[in-house]
Amino acid sequence: MAARILIDRFSFRYGPDLPSALAEVSLDIAPGSCCGILGPTGAGKTTLLHALVGILGRHHPDSIHAGTIRVGERTFAPLPDEILFPKVGLVLQDPFVQLSGVRDTVSDEVLFTLENLGIASEVAQSRVAALLRELGIDHLASRQPSTLSGGETQRLALATMLIAAPEVLLLDEPTSALDTSAVERLRQIIESLHSRTTVIITDTQIDFSLPLADQIVVLDAGNLRFDGKPSDFTSRMNEFGDVLPVRGWREALDRLAESSAMQSHAADLLGKALGKT
Amino acid sequence: MRLDISSKLALVLLLWVCAFTLEWFVSVPLLVVAAAARYLVPAFRPQSHRANRAFNKFLLYSVAILVLLTALNALLMPGGDILFTLAGLKFHHDGLMFGIRTAARLLLLSVSILIFFISTPLPDFIRFLQQKGLPSQLVLILLLTLHFLDQLPERINRVFVAQEARGAPVRAGVFSRAKSLVSILSPLVLSSIVESIDRGTALEVRGFLVRPEASLVRVQARQKLNPVSLTLLLLTLGVLFLFLLRWLLAF
Amino acid sequence: MTGAALPFVAFCIALNLTVGQVTAALKIPLYLDSIGTVLVAVLVGPWSAVIAGSFANLLAAAFGNPSMMFFIPVVVVIGAFTGYLARAGWFRRWYLVALGGILQGILAAIVSAPISAYLFGGVMMTGTDFLVLYFRSVGNTLLNSVFYQGLTSDPVDKLITYLLVFFITRSLPRRLLSRLRGASNLKETPSRHAP
Repeated sequence: MAARILIDRFSFRYGPDLPSALAEVSLDIAPGSCCGILGPTGAGKTTLLHALVGILGRHHPDSIHAGTIRVGERTFAPLPDEILFPKVGLVLQDPFVQLSGVRDTVSDEVLFTLENLGIASEVAQSRVAALLRELGIDHLASRQPSTLSGGETQRLALATMLIAAPEVLLLDEPTSALDTSAVERLRQIIESLHSRTTVIITDTQIDFSLPLADQIVVLDAGNLRFDGKPSDFTSRMNEFGDVLPVRGWREALDRLAESSAMQSHAADLLGKALGKT
Repeated sequence: MRLDISSKLALVLLLWVCAFTLEWFVSVPLLVVAAAARYLVPAFRPQSHRANRAFNKFLLYSVAILVLLTALNALLMPGGDILFTLAGLKFHHDGLMFGIRTAARLLLLSVSILIFFISTPLPDFIRFLQQKGLPSQLVLILLLTLHFLDQLPERINRVFVAQEARGAPVRAGVFSRAKSLVSILSPLVLSSIVESIDRGTALEVRGFLVRPEASLVRVQARQKLNPVSLTLLLLTLGVLFLFLLRWLLAF
Repeated sequence: MTGAALPFVAFCIALNLTVGQVTAALKIPLYLDSIGTVLVAVLVGPWSAVIAGSFANLLAAAFGNPSMMFFIPVVVVIGAFTGYLARAGWFRRWYLVALGGILQGILAAIVSAPISAYLFGGVMMTGTDFLVLYFRSVGNTLLNSVFYQGLTSDPVDKLITYLLVFFITRSLPRRLLSRLRGASNLKETPSRHAP
C-alpha cells in the first residue's frame, strides 16, 4: 500500500556554522503518485531523500532542523529518529555501492534484504525469483553481482529495495550511470509501480522523470522554486534556465512524446505535460 | 570419516598442542604426516592452484631458512659437546638441539595452519564462524575485506600511475619516494571514506544494523560435535594432561 | 560501530595486507603493515582498531604467513594504545605523533618479545633472525636478544606509520570524518566564548 508524504516547512542545516541545506520546504505527495524533484547539484535533493528515509538525524546529530515530516500515518518533528525501512526504500545514486559486496549471486544479494527483515529463506526464495522475473533480470540470478553491466546493476539495486515492498520508494539520480536503452527499461519499471508505491525521483535532468511524474518540484539552493503539475512546469520551463538544462528540452520532449518507444501511459503523461492532450 | 571445518580445526589444535608439548622427534614425524595430508586426505586438498603454489613456496622457503638458522645456532651458541667440525667450524650440541627443536615446532605450527587454510575457502570459514556465534557486524567486516582485497591492488596501481603522471617523485631518491607515500595513500584513504559512507548508508537502508536479529547467512540449526572432532579434542586434552603430568613429576 | 565504520574497517584491514605493494613499487624498505590499524584507531576508535588488527593478522595467516596468528596480542596492544592516544588528542600535533610512534614501537617490541622468544625461539623466518642470533652470540639471553632486535626496527616502523597517518588524516574533510566517530580526535577543541 502506498503512503502519502507531507512535509511542512522543513528546514535543515548540517551544522550551526553552515548554510541552510533546505529552507522551509513544504510538499504534499499523494499516495501512489510519482514526484520528480529536479535541481542542480547542491540544491538539497539528496538531503530531502535522506530525511525521508530516516538517516539524516542519525548521521548528523549536530544538525539544526525544524518543521514536520509525515510518512503515511507517522509524523516526525521533524526528523525520523529511526530508519524507516522497509516502509521507505532508498536506491542510492551509485548502484554499485548499494550492493552489499558480500554475496556471490544476484538472487543472494536480493535475499540479503529479506534476511535483514528476519524473513525465512524458503518463503523468500520464491519472492526473489518472481521479482527478478518482473525486472527482467531472472536470467542473471546465479551471476556474480560484480559482473553485471551498469543497467543490470541498477535493476539489481532496485530489486534489493522492491523486495521489501516499500510504501515509498526514493530514487536518487537513478540514470546518472546508464545508457539510453537502460534508461528506457528503468522508466518502464518505474511506470509499472504507479499507484502501488509512492515514488520520488531526484534528477539534475528533465527528460527521465517528466514523462513519469504526476508532480514536479524544483529545488534551488535549498529553496522550493516550483511545485506543481508537469504541464505547468513545461509551460514555465524557461524560468528555470539558471538551475536546469532547459534549452532545447522542449523540442527533445516533443520528440520523445512522438517516439514509439514510449508506452502509452508515459506517452499520455508526457503529452499532458506538454499540453498536447 | 567426515572432516568438516570443525574437525579440521580440532586437528589444527591437536597439532599446535603437540608442537608445544612434545619432543622434536615426535613433532618431526607429525610434521611429515601433516604435510603429506595435503595429498592423502581429500579434505585437505588445496582448493586452488594458487593455494597449492603458496603452500609449496612457503615450505621450501621455510625449510631452507630453518636449516640455515639451525646451522648458525649450532655454530654460534656454545654449550655441550662439539658434535663435529667442518672446514674449521665447530658445531655445538646445545645450539644444534635448540635449532632443531625450534625448527620442528615452527614448521609444525605453520604447516598445520596452512593445510587448514589452503583447503578451506575463506568465505566458508567466515560463515562457519558466524554459525558458532561471531556477530553479524564482524562477519560483514571479514567478507567485505575479501571484497576489497580483490579491488585494492588495481586501485593502488591506478593511483600510483596517476601520481606519477602528475610528477610525483616516485622514482627519485629514497626521501622523495617516502614523501610520495602520502600522495599515494591520501587519495586511497579519502576515496575509501567516501565509499564507506555510501556503503554504510546502503547497509542501513537495507535494514542491516537496524534489527538485532539480522543475520548474513541462513543460520543452520546448531549441529552436534561430530565423532571425529570429539576424538581429536579428546586426544588434545590427553596430550595436554600427559604434558602437565610430566611437568609436575619433574618437580 | 556506525554503518560507515564497518566498510572503512574492512578497507583498512585490506590496506594492511596490500600496503606492501605500495612500498615495493616505491622501493622503500618499510613494512607499514599496521597502517590500516592505526588509521582505524585514529578515525574510528580503539576497539575497532583491535578488531582491524586481529582480523588482519588472521587473514595474513590464511594467505601464507601462519606465524602472524600468534602475534594477535601485539596488534591488540597497538590498536588499543593508539586509539587511546588519539582520544587524548595526541594526533593533533606532529611532535606528539612522533613521540607516540616511538612509544608504540617500544611497547610493540616489549609485547612481541616473549611471544617470539618462547613460542618461536626467536626465529621468525625473516632477515631479522640473524640479528637475534648476533645478540645471542654476544651473551644476551634469548628474550633480551629478541627484545633488542625489536627495538632496532619497531620504533622506527611505528614512528613512520604514525607520521604517515597524521599527514594523511589532516588533509581529510572534517565533514566526512564525522561519519566515522573518531573525527573529534583530530579537530581542535573550540575555545569557549560567552553567549
